[in-house]
Amino acid sequence: MISLGFRTLLVKEIRRFLRVPGQTLATPLLTTTLYFLVFGVSIGHQLREVGGVPYARFIVPGLVLMGVMQNAYLNSASSLFVMKLQGTIVDVLVSPLSYAEILGAFVLAAVVRGLLVGGITWAVAGAFTGFEVAHPALALALVALAAAAFAAGGVVSAIWAQTFEQVNFFPTFFILPLTFLGGVFFSVRMLPPGLAAAARANPVFYMVDGLRFAMLGSSDASPWVGAGLVALLAAGAHTVAYLLLRSGWRLRG
Amino acid sequence: MSEPVVQIRGLVKRYGDLVALDGVDLEIRAGEIFGLLGPNGAGKTTLISVVTGLARATAGEVRVLGRDVVADYRFTRRQVGLVPQEINFDPFFTVEESLHFQAGYFGVKLTEARLTELLGALDLAAKRTVSARALSGGMRRRLLIAKALVHEPRVLFLDEPTAGVDVELRRALWAYVRTLRDRGTTVVLTTHYLEEAEALADRIGVIDQGRLRLVEEKAALLARSGGRSLEQVYVELVGRKPAVAT
Repeated sequence: MISLGFRTLLVKEIRRFLRVPGQTLATPLLTTTLYFLVFGVSIGHQLREVGGVPYARFIVPGLVLMGVMQNAYLNSASSLFVMKLQGTIVDVLVSPLSYAEILGAFVLAAVVRGLLVGGITWAVAGAFTGFEVAHPALALALVALAAAAFAAGGVVSAIWAQTFEQVNFFPTFFILPLTFLGGVFFSVRMLPPGLAAAARANPVFYMVDGLRFAMLGSSDASPWVGAGLVALLAAGAHTVAYLLLRSGWRLRG
Repeated sequence: MSEPVVQIRGLVKRYGDLVALDGVDLEIRAGEIFGLLGPNGAGKTTLISVVTGLARATAGEVRVLGRDVVADYRFTRRQVGLVPQEINFDPFFTVEESLHFQAGYFGVKLTEARLTELLGALDLAAKRTVSARALSGGMRRRLLIAKALVHEPRVLFLDEPTAGVDVELRRALWAYVRTLRDRGTTVVLTTHYLEEAEALADRIGVIDQGRLRLVEEKAALLARSGGRSLEQVYVELVGRKPAVAT
């Protein structure tokens, strides 16, 4: 049974990001829309189809996933870190909420934000390229799982971080480069052999590729590799986040 | 005598080489105001933190209403309210929202009647829909007290509730603490203002360097000290003068 405490923390976390829609929804919407307009519409006209898919349509899954991952991570990371900084984490720590309830509420709220941003990005891109999705259930499952994985990663980061700079460390030095090099804007078949091998060593490549299969029906690698990796990442991130919460490290004295 | 509300046995808390609590034994009785005195860094906040779940004991046992605060934390935390020393507030939400959320964390649905009562008691009724960021320091302190009481705890911990508070608010808070006690809430108050402990407490404990130096009824303590003030007794125990309320 879902407890009132869990529902309360979930609602509070969702309301928190909805209170600042310019920062939490409009900014990522603007950023991904600009990516789409620059790489998809303007430069995309100069490019041929990729694997039989128009370039503007080819980049949509990667842009959706990028928005989902970044926003899910930022939601849980910034909210929990600010609570630590302001001292309001005390309100939760002295409550009877279990560690699973605390983790679940932060992750689920972040998933909601990630899906909202991903949905808005998809809707904007769809206005230019169409709204057909090859495997909608798989697409939704992959996006939700990726959001959950990065949301749990955000919880880990917020517990570890002692400065804002540390909160931004993971998205700046891991999520962004791995996403850009993970085939959001290109197919590995467009790369020379050495770079293609490097791209195939990047886990985000399989996530983008898996979502590309789910949305467009074609991919460079098996979509199940991507699905498996996201599931593995989600399980790992949740385990670490739960163990850290339970240990009380940097939260309880 | 009824069972103590809080039982602490052999409590030790270490932070690396620093011993913050060194074998503390203490019982808090139902319905009393217990004043825990001590200089800065004596272990007052650490003691409260272990009971309320903000810190974990290195050794020893803490029970609230007979239940262990670690093994049975869901039960014990529902019995306890904490007003932390540092003022905190969530700038995203109003006074009313903050209270609803805090009640929800404890599994309590805040009724309109209870909300109105709390806001009235803490003189926050006019600020009900105001963002916490727009409150004055004194109002934020009162909001913290309202949050700690929202789930109607059996025992309320007030950690230096009047530090940096003006005289008028201090007197108002004292009056409210007495009202809570009269209604049956047990109150544990840490302070380094002797004046505060003398005005409020039924029993007094003095802690220094992680050790409880004394626990005694206030009246008996003052009578036994042969006309000496609480300050003189304190100086004898701790070896230095207490802070002065300003």
